[in-house]
Amino acid sequence: MKTKSLKTLVIVGLITMGLALGLRRNGLPARAQDAGTQDKATLEKVLPTKPAYSPYAGRNFPTRPLFGDSHLHTGLSFDAGIFGCRLGPSDAYRFARGEEVTASSGQRVKLSRPLDWLVVADHSDNMGLITDLMAGKQELLAVPKGRRWYDMMQAGKGGDAAIEMIMSFGEGTFPKEMVYGPANPAYKTAWQTEIDAAEKANEPGRFSAIIGFEWTSNTGANNLHRNVLFRGNGAQASLVVPMVTFKPWGSDNPEDLWKWMAATEEKSGSPVLAIAHNGNLSNGLMFPIVEAFGKKLDKEYCETRAKWERIYEMTQTKGTGEAHPYLSPNDEFANFEIWDKGNLDGSTAKTKDMLEFEYARSALKNGLKLEEKFGTNPYKFGMIGSSDAHNALAAMEEDNFFGKTTPQEPSPERLTKTFVKHPKTGVTIMDWEVSASGYAAVWATENTREAIFDAMQRREVYATTGPRMTVRFFGGWDFEPRDATNRMPAAIGYSKGVPMGGDLSEAPAGKSPTFLVAALKDPIGANLDRIQIVKGWIDARGELHEQVYDVVWGDAEKRKRGANGKVPPVGDTVDVEDATWSNTIGDPELITVWKDPNFDAKQRAFYYVRVLEIPTPRWTAYDAKRFGIKPLPGTAMKLQERAYTSPIWYTPAK
Amino acid sequence: MKRILREPLVHFLLLGAVLFIAYGLVSKPGSSDRPGKIIVTQGQIDQLASGFAKTWQRPPTTEELAGLVQDLVREEVYCREAMAMGLDKDDSVIRRRLRQKLEFISDDVAAIREPTDADLNAYLQSHPDRFRVEQRFTFSQVYLDPAKHGENLARDVAELLVQLNRAGEQADVLTLGDSFLMEHTFTATPTSEIAKQFGEKFAAKLGELSPGTWQGPVESGYGAHLVFVSERTEGRVPALAEVRDDVRREWADAARLELNEKFYQELLKHYTVTIESPHLAEVQR
Repeated sequence: MKTKSLKTLVIVGLITMGLALGLRRNGLPARAQDAGTQDKATLEKVLPTKPAYSPYAGRNFPTRPLFGDSHLHTGLSFDAGIFGCRLGPSDAYRFARGEEVTASSGQRVKLSRPLDWLVVADHSDNMGLITDLMAGKQELLAVPKGRRWYDMMQAGKGGDAAIEMIMSFGEGTFPKEMVYGPANPAYKTAWQTEIDAAEKANEPGRFSAIIGFEWTSNTGANNLHRNVLFRGNGAQASLVVPMVTFKPWGSDNPEDLWKWMAATEEKSGSPVLAIAHNGNLSNGLMFPIVEAFGKKLDKEYCETRAKWERIYEMTQTKGTGEAHPYLSPNDEFANFEIWDKGNLDGSTAKTKDMLEFEYARSALKNGLKLEEKFGTNPYKFGMIGSSDAHNALAAMEEDNFFGKTTPQEPSPERLTKTFVKHPKTGVTIMDWEVSASGYAAVWATENTREAIFDAMQRREVYATTGPRMTVRFFGGWDFEPRDATNRMPAAIGYSKGVPMGGDLSEAPAGKSPTFLVAALKDPIGANLDRIQIVKGWIDARGELHEQVYDVVWGDAEKRKRGANGKVPPVGDTVDVEDATWSNTIGDPELITVWKDPNFDAKQRAFYYVRVLEIPTPRWTAYDAKRFGIKPLPGTAMKLQERAYTSPIWYTPAK
Repeated sequence: MKRILREPLVHFLLLGAVLFIAYGLVSKPGSSDRPGKIIVTQGQIDQLASGFAKTWQRPPTTEELAGLVQDLVREEVYCREAMAMGLDKDDSVIRRRLRQKLEFISDDVAAIREPTDADLNAYLQSHPDRFRVEQRFTFSQVYLDPAKHGENLARDVAELLVQLNRAGEQADVLTLGDSFLMEHTFTATPTSEIAKQFGEKFAAKLGELSPGTWQGPVESGYGAHLVFVSERTEGRVPALAEVRDDVRREWADAARLELNEKFYQELLKHYTVTIESPHLAEVQR
C-alpha cells in the first residue's frame, strides 16, 4: 500500500510541479529559418527509369531498416532519478549497443541483439538535479532543504525524500536555487553530460547516438510531450541548452517550442525535429482541429506544425495510439494495448468525445479536412514506436522486458502491482497494462546521425511494437501483380513509385493508385499473420471515411476470405502456461501488389500498412512462468505484435 | 624513477603517506574541560569566499564573509564537541561519507599511474576478444522457403545445390530459389551485421564454410539458404596503435579495481573479523 500511494503521489506531484512553477507562454524570438533538409533525398533515391546492365550499379537506396529507440530516459531525468534509476546516458548507449549491464535493480541484462541507434531523451525540466543531489553537489547541499533530502537519501530513506520533494513542488516551496533550468550553470553541465555520452557512443556506420531531449508539456496532466532530436554533432548541440516548460525561460505551448526550434537551428547550425507522443493521455488536446491554447487554428499553425513535427510516436510502453475501437468499430484489430482511462496521472477521466483528437488514424483523417480548409495538412506525419522507458534500458522484447521504470524491472510483484491510481477519480492503471513496446525502424541509406535524421524528415520510417520485422511499402500508378514476384522488390519499388512517407498526385486519367507491399518476419521472431492497408479519405461533402483491407496473408492456400470480405483469424499456437508458441502457422514473408478498388481522383486520401504477427506470449506470460505466480483476473497474456508504416498520401492536382 | 612509480608497493607507501598527512592535519579533538585552539587560515577564508561566489555569482560583502567565518568557527566547535561525545559513531550518513572519501583517495592514487606500451600490449594480449577486429564475409545466398517445399525440401535443396555449383560464382542468384526480401549479395560484411539480419546461428555457420563453392543448407529463422562465400577476411587482434585509446581505458579500469581491492585487503590484514553466523561467514569465503 505504501508504494502504491508513493507512486501516485510522485505522479500527481510531478504534474502539480508543472503547475506550481507557473507554466506560461513566453514568446521566444521567432526568426526566419529554412531547415532545408526535407524531401530532397526521396527524389535523389529514385532510380533512373532506364536501368544499367548491372542490377547493383548506381543503387543507393536503403537495403535494410535500422532499428532504434528515439525516446529513452536515464537517471538524469528528474522522475527516473527519483524512482531509483542509477544508470546514466553512457550506460544507456552501452546497453543499446549490445553490451551487458547491471540494471538499477541489481539484475544483469542484455539485449538479444544490438540496436542500430538510440536517442537518450531525458526530460529538460530539472535535468540532472537528482543525480547531482545524490552525488552531494556542494551548491545543492548549501540549500538547507537540499542538505536534508541528501541526508535522507544517504540514510536509505530515498522514498521519503522523494515524497517530500514532490510535496514541496506541489506547495510551491521547492527552493528556487535547486531548480535546474537555463539560468542554472548545473543545468548546462547536465546537458553537456548527455552530449558527451552521445559523442563517445556514436560510431558512424555501426551505431548512431543521436543527441536529443524531451520537452515535457504537461499542464493539467494532459500529455503534450515532445522529443527533440538534433541532426548535428555535440559541438553544435552544446551551443544551446534544451527548452524547458517553466517560466520565465520556457513555455508549455508547442507553438513556443517551434519558435525555440527555429532559433536553435539558427544558433547551432544543426537541424532539429520534434516527435510528439502519447496523444492517448492528452485528453483530447494532442491533435486539435478548432483551437489550441485558446487560439483558433489557422494557416500558420498548420504550416508550422507540419514543418517541425513530421513523425509521431504512436506506440510505446504507455499504450498504442493507432486506432481506438470506439472510433473504428469495424476494425477488429483496433483494440490493441489501449490506454483510455484518463490523462497522464488519471486526474481527469476520459470521455468518448476526446478520443477523436488523440489517435493517429483519426488525426490523419482530420488532417485531410484541415488541409482543405487551410491549404496545409498539420497532421501529415509518419509513424514510429519507441520505449519511453525510464531505466536507461531499451529492452522491449516480450521475453526480455525490463519495464518502464526501475520499480517495474522484473520481480515477482510487477504482475500484480498498481502503476497509477488517482485518489479522486479512481482511475487505476496496473503494472501489467504497461506494454513491452516499441522500436522505430528507419530506412536510412547508412547508419549515421545525418542519414537517420533525413529518413525521419522524409517519413521513410515505421513503428514496431517490439519485433524487428522488415516492411517495404511503395505507391505508384503502374505497379503490376508480377512486380510482387520480382527478386528485387525494392529496386522496382523505388523506380516505379514513392516509398512510405511519400506523396502521390496528378492521377493519370482512369488510373487508380497501386501499391507494392512486402514484409519479412523478425529473423528470431514469429511468423506473419497478414498485411493490411488502411485507407482514409475525405469525400465531396467533406465527410471522413476509413477502410481496412486485408491484402495478403499467411497460409493462403487454406485460408480464404470470408463472406464479409475479411480473412479469418490465423489461429493460435500459444501455450500461456509454458509461455511458448510455434511457427507452424502464418508465413515468414508476405508480398503483394494491391490496387485501390474505390479510388476517386478528386478526393484526398492516405494509405498506410499494418502488419500483424501470429499470436505470441505477452511479457506477462513470461513473468507468470518464470516467477511462478498467478496473474490477476483479466490480465492480457498474449498478443499479436505488429508494425505500422508511415502513410503515402494522395492529393488531387489543383 | 618511472619504473619505481609503477611498483604497487610504492603506491601503498604513497597512500599511507597521504593518510598520515591527512590525519596529522586534523587537530586533536577538543573536550569541554581542556579548550583547544581554532585557527581560521587565510586559505580557508579564500575558499569560503569562492564557494559563495560560485553559488551567488558575486563575491560576498565583508559582513557576509564575516558571517561565513563565524559559521565555520561554529561548525568547528560543534564538530569537535560532537566527536568528543561520540556522536559520529553509528551514524550511517557519516560512516558512508568516510568510506567514500577513502575510496576517492584510493581511486586518485590509482589514476596516478601512466601505463607503458608494454602494459597495454600485455593487457591487449590477455584480453584479445574485447578488442578483436571482426571477421568479414563477402557472400551470396539463395533462399528456400520450407513452407513452399514441404516434404520435398531436402530433395529440392540437393538439386539446387548441384545446379548452383555447375554455375559457380556466376550463378544467377536473382532467378534461383524462392523470392526473399533480403539482399542476395553481401560485400565485406562483419559477422555482427550478418547476425542482425539472419540470426546468430547463420552467422556462426558461415565461418565453417570453405570459400569458393556453393554449400548448405544453412538454416536461419526464415528457412534454408545455399551460400557461396567468395571471400573471408579473418578476424584478428589489432595492433596496439589501432586501439590504443580503448585498451588504455580498459587497462585503467582494471588497474583501478585491482589496486582498490589490494588496498582493502592490505587494510583488512590489520583486523580479525568475526561474523557471528557460521553460515554467512562460510558464504563470505
